[in-house]
Amino acid sequence: MELDILKEKWAEQDRKLDTCIRLNQRLLVAVETHRWRTPLRLFALFSGMGAFMGLIPLMLLGQFIYAHWTEPRFALPAVALDVWVIAYVAASIRQMAMALQIDYNKPIVLIQKQIENLRALRLRVLRWALLTGQLVWWIPFLVVMLKGLWNVDAYKILSLRFLIVNLALGLALIPAAVWVSRKFGDRMDRSPAVQRLMRELAGYNITAASDRLASIAEFQQETND
Amino acid sequence: MTASDLQKTFQDRVEQHKKILYKVCNVYCADRDSREDLAQEIMFQLWRSFWKFDGRCQFSTWMYRIALNVAISFFRSERTRTRHVFSDEERLLQAVVEPDRQPEEIQLLYEFIAELDPLSRALILLYLDGNQYQEIAEILGISETNVATKISRLKSRMKQKVGTKKG
Repeated sequence: MELDILKEKWAEQDRKLDTCIRLNQRLLVAVETHRWRTPLRLFALFSGMGAFMGLIPLMLLGQFIYAHWTEPRFALPAVALDVWVIAYVAASIRQMAMALQIDYNKPIVLIQKQIENLRALRLRVLRWALLTGQLVWWIPFLVVMLKGLWNVDAYKILSLRFLIVNLALGLALIPAAVWVSRKFGDRMDRSPAVQRLMRELAGYNITAASDRLASIAEFQQETND
Repeated sequence: MTASDLQKTFQDRVEQHKKILYKVCNVYCADRDSREDLAQEIMFQLWRSFWKFDGRCQFSTWMYRIALNVAISFFRSERTRTRHVFSDEERLLQAVVEPDRQPEEIQLLYEFIAELDPLSRALILLYLDGNQYQEIAEILGISETNVATKISRLKSRMKQKVGTKKG
């Protein structure tokens, strides 16, 4: 059957729809009260809050680095943490700006590209925040926190060997976490949350977002038969 | 225009074009509760953007654009979405005729649409609804030639599908 014949049937059916469907006027009025309900607005709000919250450790770390500038064994872990927080705040601001720019009133291909780019960025940020976060928020954080809060020298109370081994384990955990996630992520059917996390670490969702971007580009591309 | 006037105008316009909402929801969602969830999300976005509608394009063009953009995003995130169960009083869009009780040809068409990617679903819906190539191009953000090429391909695919079914 030709698509054009089906189009006529579709039009016939369409004429009947006016009498077959009705809109609930009470609910129609109620929609305007759910101002923050949409996922994109919520995402922009949470990204903004994330960036704002990041400013507090930024200030504290800035103060700490300034106070211990002449002591690299304390300043360096604080710089590592600071770089991580700066990257996190910058990524949050960028995500918030991208989310706020999305206007559903614009052409579909353009908006879907923006949404997919935002999704890819969010996934990349999440993946690297998890992988590198466990590194900086353990030993460097411990050194800075002990010194900053209680003026305790972590290098003295914990052996240097303990600190180096933990740091090395943290570094080794990055490729190991990616490998384990790739190997076992799909088998974690019984725990959807763990499976989702493993898929994020393995980078599968980033690949899926890239594939979707490629399919949008392909749709947009003009090709002749 | 006062807020209540704006609301009244919005409601009237949406009422006139409620079929768009119904069809977009049917094309992107298979079950009744997802369709309702999507309808409410589309309606919210329409209301939120209504103040920006300046009449430079037809209301239907504007409505298609927003509804399809929301539907495609909804479709992609549906796997991870928390599902709501709606009672009849909570439903924004109510239909006497459900798609699975529609004529065989329309069901065949829905089956065909369900096999397409989200952007092609938008294209075929706009085509079936009788929009001109120029309007379709404007809504999708691609060229008119591209629209023509893609529709011609969809026609061949449809022919093939029906041929396979008969064979």
